[in-house]
Amino acid sequence: MYKFNQKLISAVILALSLTACSNDTSQTSTETTTKPKETSVSEKVANAILPSAQAATYEEITIKTGGFNLGKPASKEEIAGWHIEVSHGHNLPPGEGTAADGEEFFEEVCANCHGSFGEGVGRNPVLAGGEGTLTDKMKPERTVGSYWPYASTLLDYTHRAMPFPSAQSLTWDQTWSLSAYVLYLNDIIEDEDFVFNAQSYKEIHMPNENGFIRDERPDTHNTRCMKDCKDPASIKVKTALLGYGSGAEDVVEETKVAKGHELGQKIYDGTCRLCHGTGLAGAPKIEDTLTWEHRLKQGLSKVHKHAINGFSGQSGVMPPKGGNMELTDDEVKAAVDFMLKDIEQ
Amino acid sequence: MSDKNTIKDQKSLSQQKNINSRRKFLSQAAATTAVVATGGAAANNLPPNVPEWQRHLGKPVNSNPYGQPSKYESSVRRLRVPWLTPDSIASISFTPLAEIKGMISPNGLAFERDHGGLPTIDPEQHRLMIHGLVEKPIILTMDDIKRFPNVSRIHFIECPANSAMEWKGPQVGRLQFTHGMTNCCEWTGVPLKYILEEVGVKPEGKWLLVEGADSASMSRSVPMEKALDDTLVVFGQNGEALRPEQGYPLRLLTPGWEGNTSIKWLRRIEITAEPSYQREETSKYTDLLNPRDPKRKDLIGKAYLFSWIMEAKAIITFPCPEKPLKEHGKYVINGLAWTGTGKIKHVDVSFDGGINWVQAELNGLVLDKCWTRFSIPFEWNGEEVLLQSRATGEDGYVQPTLKQLREARGVASIYHNNAIHTWKINKNGEVESVQV
Repeated sequence: MYKFNQKLISAVILALSLTACSNDTSQTSTETTTKPKETSVSEKVANAILPSAQAATYEEITIKTGGFNLGKPASKEEIAGWHIEVSHGHNLPPGEGTAADGEEFFEEVCANCHGSFGEGVGRNPVLAGGEGTLTDKMKPERTVGSYWPYASTLLDYTHRAMPFPSAQSLTWDQTWSLSAYVLYLNDIIEDEDFVFNAQSYKEIHMPNENGFIRDERPDTHNTRCMKDCKDPASIKVKTALLGYGSGAEDVVEETKVAKGHELGQKIYDGTCRLCHGTGLAGAPKIEDTLTWEHRLKQGLSKVHKHAINGFSGQSGVMPPKGGNMELTDDEVKAAVDFMLKDIEQ
Repeated sequence: MSDKNTIKDQKSLSQQKNINSRRKFLSQAAATTAVVATGGAAANNLPPNVPEWQRHLGKPVNSNPYGQPSKYESSVRRLRVPWLTPDSIASISFTPLAEIKGMISPNGLAFERDHGGLPTIDPEQHRLMIHGLVEKPIILTMDDIKRFPNVSRIHFIECPANSAMEWKGPQVGRLQFTHGMTNCCEWTGVPLKYILEEVGVKPEGKWLLVEGADSASMSRSVPMEKALDDTLVVFGQNGEALRPEQGYPLRLLTPGWEGNTSIKWLRRIEITAEPSYQREETSKYTDLLNPRDPKRKDLIGKAYLFSWIMEAKAIITFPCPEKPLKEHGKYVINGLAWTGTGKIKHVDVSFDGGINWVQAELNGLVLDKCWTRFSIPFEWNGEEVLLQSRATGEDGYVQPTLKQLREARGVASIYHNNAIHTWKINKNGEVESVQV
């Protein structure tokens, strides 16, 4: 059992109760009249340096609403370009696709992070499986198939934010076919030639559609118990698994001191690997030595320049600094140098 | 967020690291003591000597046109936990709560959660479109937005995943990581109701789809009631323009609600009849339930949808793992408390792991949906102490114990962990994150 110095703690508490109660008449006024009034050092300290707080409110703004007549009317074309969401039951986009269409494309652009079967690579989201695990106490697996209530969300998010390095680059046909493939991986679409489109959408039923309830909080009902609130014998102390550093500190220190290829690898891991590790968006893979040798014929400084300022080539687009504008030019160069370190120059 | 395997993989490594960092901590502490005790170069600046910096002129005024903290504060910074997220782009940084000196988080230290990286947005080319079930769809420039009546409000923002790592057991051992997914700033912006009046919401318009201009086009559904209540369209943060990490040039602020609904880089508001069931309000930010309470078995496998409010929470910021007690004697325990339902009414502190409680004092301003400081004096003579704090809101809601939360929801719901937290002060003055 955990041992306390009860004497110390009760002494401190007594002194502090007085301090606290004297500033609050609503909660414990009966206690203040029954306890002896004596001024402890703690109380003096508290009163000297800690003014008690008063609840404050803002002045209300009194300007009447309406009629500012600001902005310009949004045209139909302007709205159409930005009106991207897909909602359950309405706003379904044009186009169509099948799981069979989606499979190859998924392998090409999605599997790098989500795995060929939607199993998730590293800590990237698992898209398929998890059926029947939502009632698991410790490890429920929330996937598109096991958890998501509506297929519209899959269409919406795929089109809105995927593939991760190049959002809003998919056509609606690609979106329908990739979504069909993800539903196929989850056995929600069973026929790989099922044509998924706005008409057939209503035939799709997500297994967990009825798994959601509106927030029922507050769902805990603690009371403001002040004394003998639990059995001291019930206290078992569990200490933190990861301790003080929790896996973060060393990384910060390394970033600060890293130089050369060490720095380059950090930058590569954080920014470049997503595309250059997988060949996403037409990016030359780090191990494609021939491609790099070909590029290096233009000279290293040109490769550096393209990496820093961006480049549109035949196979794809290199965004400036790989899309991470926080990087300095030297950091981008270090990343390039790291990527090319095994190539004859 | 709390992938079991990865956590397991980290365990042995981290235990090793834990020992190393513990040693480092002790050797640093020893080094500090040595300097104070024996002198060295620093001692030349102590009485009766005249300090070196007093004997010559300082730098010219405005040597640094945008001010920076003292170089001695360089360790005060946001941190990331690399193993938490798949990459450093869709990721999160934590506010160093142990270093916060009041009720405001400085702009450079306010935690940041991005889902598609940090966009760099030219305010001249940024637009806010409002359309959908409205009489007059419009597009506003930043200049237009700043012509509406604007207000300044101090509110906390808290990611609903704050303390998420702690559901199954104590995992991360420092305040920055157990509680640092929160910030509190003075936000300046336009009450959304002014903008909605401008477009004329149709009677069937009951919801808003709000969307950001980041690569994730981060999007959430917000009910009209909240939009007309205290929701702001914000362009200012602590007296200057919003920081990019907080949504420059424009963000939504839904005070007291989970941070994800305060869409950053706000570019579009669509008025709709129904919620849009976006990814971040179905697959994420929903609370999967597995109540331990046998009376709530019917909820096993169900999930809370639209659990917006951040409930009352208090945390002791001194002492804490980052700020151990270096010697015996008198101290003032400090902390922060907040609730998404309104004002903090009380904060109580326990020194014995929750058996007995004492009311702390609230310090400074007590504001709606805002960090509220609390403190209580304490004398420490080397004993082990189990320190806890417990917030009560003006609505009467009392911050729950972890046991109560687990009874209501189990341990795998990820979000909205507002349990009472425990610091254990060890005999040597170090402070550990524990659960009791």
